[in-house]
Amino acid sequence: MSTIKLLSSDNAELAVDKEVAERSILIKNMLEDVGGDMSDQAIPIPNVNEAVLRKVIEWCEHHKSDPPPPADEDSDSRKKSTDIEEWDQKFMQVDQEMLFEIILAANYLDIKPLLDVGCKTVANMIKGKSPEEIRKTFNIQNDFTPEEEDQIRRENEWAEE
Amino acid sequence: MPLHPQTPNREDLHQTWSYLETGISKIMNDLQQGMDMKAYMGIYTAVHNFCTSQKAVNSSSTSLHHQGGVHRGAHLLGEDLYNNLIKYLSAHLADLKEQSGQYADEALLGFYIREWDRYTTAAKYINHLFRYLNRHWVKREMDEGKKNIYDVYTLHLVRWKIDLFDSVQKTVMEGVLKLVEKQRNGETIETAMVKSIVDSFVSLGLDENDSSKSTLEVYREYFEKPFLDKTNNYYQLESKQFVAENSVVEYMKKAETRLSEEEGRVHVYLHPDIMVPLMKTCQRVLIQEHKTLLHDEFQVLLNNDRQDDLKRMYNLLSRITDGLEPLRTKFEAHVRKAGLEAIEKVANENADDNLEPKVYVDALLEVHEKYSSLVKIAFKEDTEFVRSLDNACREFVNRNKVCKAASSKSPELLAKYADSLLKKSAKAAEEADLESKLDSIMTVFKYVEDKDVFQKFYSRMLAKRLVHATSASDDAETSMIGKLKDACGFEYTNKLQRMFQDMQISKDLNDSYKEWMNNTLDEESLKTAVDFSIQVLGTSFWPLTPPNTPFNIPQVITKTYDRFQTFYFQKHSGRKLNWLWHLCKGDVKATFAKSSKVPFTFHVSTYQMAILLMFNDATSYPYDNIEATTGLSKDYLDPSLGVFIKAKVLNIEPAGSKVGPGTTLTLNTDFKSKKIRVNLNMAVRAEQKQETEDTHKTIEEDRKLLMQSAIVRIMKSRKVLKHAVLVSETIAQIKTRFTPKVPDIKKCIDILLEKEYLERLDGERLGYLA
Repeated sequence: MSTIKLLSSDNAELAVDKEVAERSILIKNMLEDVGGDMSDQAIPIPNVNEAVLRKVIEWCEHHKSDPPPPADEDSDSRKKSTDIEEWDQKFMQVDQEMLFEIILAANYLDIKPLLDVGCKTVANMIKGKSPEEIRKTFNIQNDFTPEEEDQIRRENEWAEE
Repeated sequence: MPLHPQTPNREDLHQTWSYLETGISKIMNDLQQGMDMKAYMGIYTAVHNFCTSQKAVNSSSTSLHHQGGVHRGAHLLGEDLYNNLIKYLSAHLADLKEQSGQYADEALLGFYIREWDRYTTAAKYINHLFRYLNRHWVKREMDEGKKNIYDVYTLHLVRWKIDLFDSVQKTVMEGVLKLVEKQRNGETIETAMVKSIVDSFVSLGLDENDSSKSTLEVYREYFEKPFLDKTNNYYQLESKQFVAENSVVEYMKKAETRLSEEEGRVHVYLHPDIMVPLMKTCQRVLIQEHKTLLHDEFQVLLNNDRQDDLKRMYNLLSRITDGLEPLRTKFEAHVRKAGLEAIEKVANENADDNLEPKVYVDALLEVHEKYSSLVKIAFKEDTEFVRSLDNACREFVNRNKVCKAASSKSPELLAKYADSLLKKSAKAAEEADLESKLDSIMTVFKYVEDKDVFQKFYSRMLAKRLVHATSASDDAETSMIGKLKDACGFEYTNKLQRMFQDMQISKDLNDSYKEWMNNTLDEESLKTAVDFSIQVLGTSFWPLTPPNTPFNIPQVITKTYDRFQTFYFQKHSGRKLNWLWHLCKGDVKATFAKSSKVPFTFHVSTYQMAILLMFNDATSYPYDNIEATTGLSKDYLDPSLGVFIKAKVLNIEPAGSKVGPGTTLTLNTDFKSKKIRVNLNMAVRAEQKQETEDTHKTIEEDRKLLMQSAIVRIMKSRKVLKHAVLVSETIAQIKTRFTPKVPDIKKCIDILLEKEYLERLDGERLGYLA
């Protein structure tokens, strides 16, 4: 199995199996397109730092032999369930900043399953909480005027029950 | 050198686009020089960064998302990149369009293909690099139902179609058609070029409703249509010229070659979708438009047995609708004529009475064989042709010169032929050979309409073979009956099978009779008993008639006669035995001849035996005396004596006179023979002929009964029926046995009315009376 090198934004070289790296569609496409013998050259990943990149690689390692996601992107199972498998739950037990970094990296690197897991984790953090609790959780300032808040409540009354 | 690509300010559209354009340009024009990872990652990242920048720099698209100051979800950036890409592609393609002006024909094809390849390869790269745009902005636009927004790859195709293809397709297609014409004229061309053009045209077909799917619309409109038109014109001209200068057979070869060439063309470099319309076009021009010519040639080919050409013609005409119908009609007439001629020939060569069944059947088979193999080889066993062959065979088997002399001659001769095969004879056929001959009998049998006639003759001859023990092989007999059963059903062969059973039962009967004698008779009687065996045959299954002459049973065998009757009636009380003396025979030891010390054994009929036994008491009798003692009628007595006189067992006085009253018959003590066993039991020819006539007569009787029973059966289940319906249903029921004539059926209905099985009701209707 061939190994390739990734270069993080803070210039750390990380060696990784090609198969693992190709969980990222970006890297997969690039290797396909650029082709040739690139083994000695590190692939620059200008948007992801070493710490995050390591986390992402760790996830890819663990999921390297997952079956490809269903062709139908909006398949119901993916949308509906907020179930996260045990390993992924543990994997996502990181501080909030890291969590958002992982989500951004997954989006950039085009690793859809990882992006899903990240978003589900955030969704679970929101689930069952009041707006005040959510604001507290994510450290958000309430920038609505009372009138605006009132209007939103009225508009969303149907969802309250 | 920095390790990471320099990316533009993510919030500055101008800077971002100019960075991207440089990269795209390189991909579009200089990809062969390769692309490094840094540049690749740079472009991807620039697109990503622009689309994810926080600041909504350009308000044209984002303003839609602000309504009444309420946020309606995250807005997505990207429209500016998309529009700039369109501008870039249009400019690129306009440039290509201008360049294409300098080329024509093959050079233009070369240019088109080269640029197409370059463009689509670049499109694949750019699509990957703009994947972030595809995933978010394009997806959102499409989800919202926006028309004319495509993923980046499809966008490339759409622009190609609009900005270049629409203006060059006509000249490109002209180049293609010129190239194909060259090939049709026998030149070698670079077929890969046409294939590339086809692929390009096919790729440009996009489904308006779902850009991820493709349609063949563009290809059909701009490639297939002109291609088919051109093909049509080309072959119209060619075939007209060719036909004018060559024979039809040559033309068929040409057409065949052309058709397979076109088919090959599809496989090598055209789209498979064109197969059906292309073949249709070629078939119309090459076959349909010349079909009269082909139809007219068919008879000529048939007359000359041109199997290969017939096959060729069949294959060609089977490709068009209604192409074969005229051939079938001609074929049927031709086979019928051939059959009739073959029979006329054998009928002329052989006098009516002397026509050997084998010669006749072989003549029928020969014609059938010839044309059924033609159907197999040339006409692919086409069911319609098989039917035509069957129709023709049925005609000439049932209505030909031989049949005209006597109706139902065909089944009679066929049954006789079967008899000759199944009878013991010197030239007994090999088993496998016999089997195949029996099969060929079945081939003819299938066509025979009067199957009841065959059955009648066959059962008579089978009866004879069994009674006289002249059947060559039980296996062959069983096999033949099996074949008849397969063809006509259980009922048809029921009697034949029962005849076989009777033979078996008789065997057992003889054994138990012997046992009975051993148990009941004293030693003296046993010693003097005549060696005897018997067959007891069921009257209703056997086509045998009791003798029509009185007969005084000779003294010597009366004891045996009485004894067996006693035995049989003990075993089966209430049964009646008719003794068929005319079918019985026996061996007589003759010790009178001076020439031989060893006594001769004469194999004789029972009637002859009665005559010979008289000569134990005296050596000479007047004719009247013999007539009185045996009780035989003249019809039987005279031929029996005739055989003796001919064999010189008896001498007639006055010498040379005809047997009859007034003559005297004397034992010839000078009798000589090379063989010890002499067969004197010879069937008389006149008897045979009589029998054939009888058979035909009984057939008429049987048919009346068959029709009557069918009518009664139908009426019993239907109770009331119109006259005409009853007639047609009767025909339907009887058809498998023979073809009944309507007047005959009407006669039968009248008989049944008279016998009060049926009654006449109003309105042409008939009712059933229980």
